[in-house]
Amino acid sequence: MRLSCSDIGFGDWCLESNIIMVNVLKGVLVECDPAMKQFLLYLDETTALGKKFIIQDLDDTHVFILAEVVHILQERVGELMDQNSFPITQK
Amino acid sequence: MKLRVQLQCKNLHEYLKELSPEILDRLYNHPATCLAVYRELPPLAKNYVMRMLFLDQPLPQAAVALWVKKDSEKDHDQCVSVLSGLRLWHSQQLQGGLQGNILNPVFKDNLRIALLGGGKSWADQGDSLGPDRHARDVESLDKYALERWEVVLHFMVGCPSAAVSQDLSQLLIQAGLMRTEAGDAPCITSAGFQFLLLDTASQLWYFTLQYLNTAQTRGMDLVEILSFLFQLSFSTLGRDYSVEGMSESLLTFLQHLREFGLVFQRKRKSRRYYPTRLAITLSAGVSANSSSTAMGATPGTGDSGFIVVETNYRLYAYTNSELQIALVALFSECLYRFPNVVVAQVTRESVQQAIANGITAQQYIGVLVLLYMAELFGEILHFLRTRAHPVMLKQNPVLPPTITDQIRLWELERDRLQFSEGVLYNQFLSQADFEVLRDRAQGLGCLVWQNVAHRVIVVSPQGHGEVKRFWKRQKSHT
Repeated sequence: MRLSCSDIGFGDWCLESNIIMVNVLKGVLVECDPAMKQFLLYLDETTALGKKFIIQDLDDTHVFILAEVVHILQERVGELMDQNSFPITQK
Repeated sequence: MKLRVQLQCKNLHEYLKELSPEILDRLYNHPATCLAVYRELPPLAKNYVMRMLFLDQPLPQAAVALWVKKDSEKDHDQCVSVLSGLRLWHSQQLQGGLQGNILNPVFKDNLRIALLGGGKSWADQGDSLGPDRHARDVESLDKYALERWEVVLHFMVGCPSAAVSQDLSQLLIQAGLMRTEAGDAPCITSAGFQFLLLDTASQLWYFTLQYLNTAQTRGMDLVEILSFLFQLSFSTLGRDYSVEGMSESLLTFLQHLREFGLVFQRKRKSRRYYPTRLAITLSAGVSANSSSTAMGATPGTGDSGFIVVETNYRLYAYTNSELQIALVALFSECLYRFPNVVVAQVTRESVQQAIANGITAQQYIGVLVLLYMAELFGEILHFLRTRAHPVMLKQNPVLPPTITDQIRLWELERDRLQFSEGVLYNQFLSQADFEVLRDRAQGLGCLVWQNVAHRVIVVSPQGHGEVKRFWKRQKSHT
């Protein structure tokens, strides 16, 4: 379940007990261009990496993801770039 | 934010500044050193030194400040800091209570000797040994020097035919240019790649600095070696010198120099040696773009450059030196090879392979930090520019913009995602809470990212512990 700030109204928490003040999550912050971010959202929706890895979608250029998928993510991005490149001239 | 070791070629002054004061003072005992240091000073500093050279008494600082015009204050200050950093002068109280400057007496005496003559002769000329039956002329010395240096570089690239002594490979490993897995032959690191793509003068200088750094651990006397090195740099090319009166450690040093190609000695036990051009240009050190000396540009070819790069990504290297061909093959695919030319193509795969070699040679620190290979690509372009054929030098800019841009784009492809480990804080109760925590994190220097509109911050893992404690304290107060 992907959380985003706009889903939870801040007012809901005011009257709760004082123990829960701030939500703390551990993970990895990813910075990229908007196009690449859409690719990450796509991978997440189709669980192409085996599970959902986006913890939070922060803004146009940042997402917060699980730490363990970093390597596989690099590979997939590499594959995407390979698919989009063509050999320039014949030898 | 480079995790990879960035090759830094310090110049002579920066290196000297790092030495301890006692060593510096001992160093200045030798006239050759003083002259070498003097040579490298900025012109204004040279002027100051000259003016104070024959004064035996300190000069008031106010008087020194009067020597420059009002608008050159900055140059004056820079001069002062250079001179103090090298311990060439220090302040002393004058009789009237003013602050004065006086030259370091040891430096002063030895510079006088260097300029006017006198004192011990620096190196015994070979005359005492009689004329050399196996005399070498300048050309053969140059050839020898290049050959030896190329063997070292070949060894780094991994040519099986290149063999170097144990000492030398140890030195390369210590310098971080190569690394060795247990029991395997040493293989090159990404710093080693950068090193290979530099020009000869910088390579030599970097290498010498590494050697000097390890000299202490070998039990050699740093001062002796440095003085000998400076002495060499003042010797005449083509003249032989005798090894009389050199201590054990100096003799070992001489053997090492022989291996790098800095001196020539016919046999290990020969009593005379010839300095080569490499040694003489060595202490000229590293200036920003020193490639104009005869040796400066490229070993292995007679003239300055040999690579032509075309806009169809083809590369023509007019050389038959194994080393140059190996270097070109590092980042391009070789297509054809003829007796005097090698045709290669710069492709995405080959360029990205070059990064991959750099990456796997590097230890990952932590799981998540990406290495920026910008410098490696900068090195490739630098390599191509400095070895450009004279035909290419006529164009402006030297390398076709398509090629430079495309190489940079291939580099940036790897950097599309940037990762940083962190801890996310969101769902703050109030704007005030958010701001307090955010300011604290910023104060600690561990704030990685923030979004004020949504009240979200990301803190680095190192800072998380401290921020959490701070937050608990805050909450327990209110």
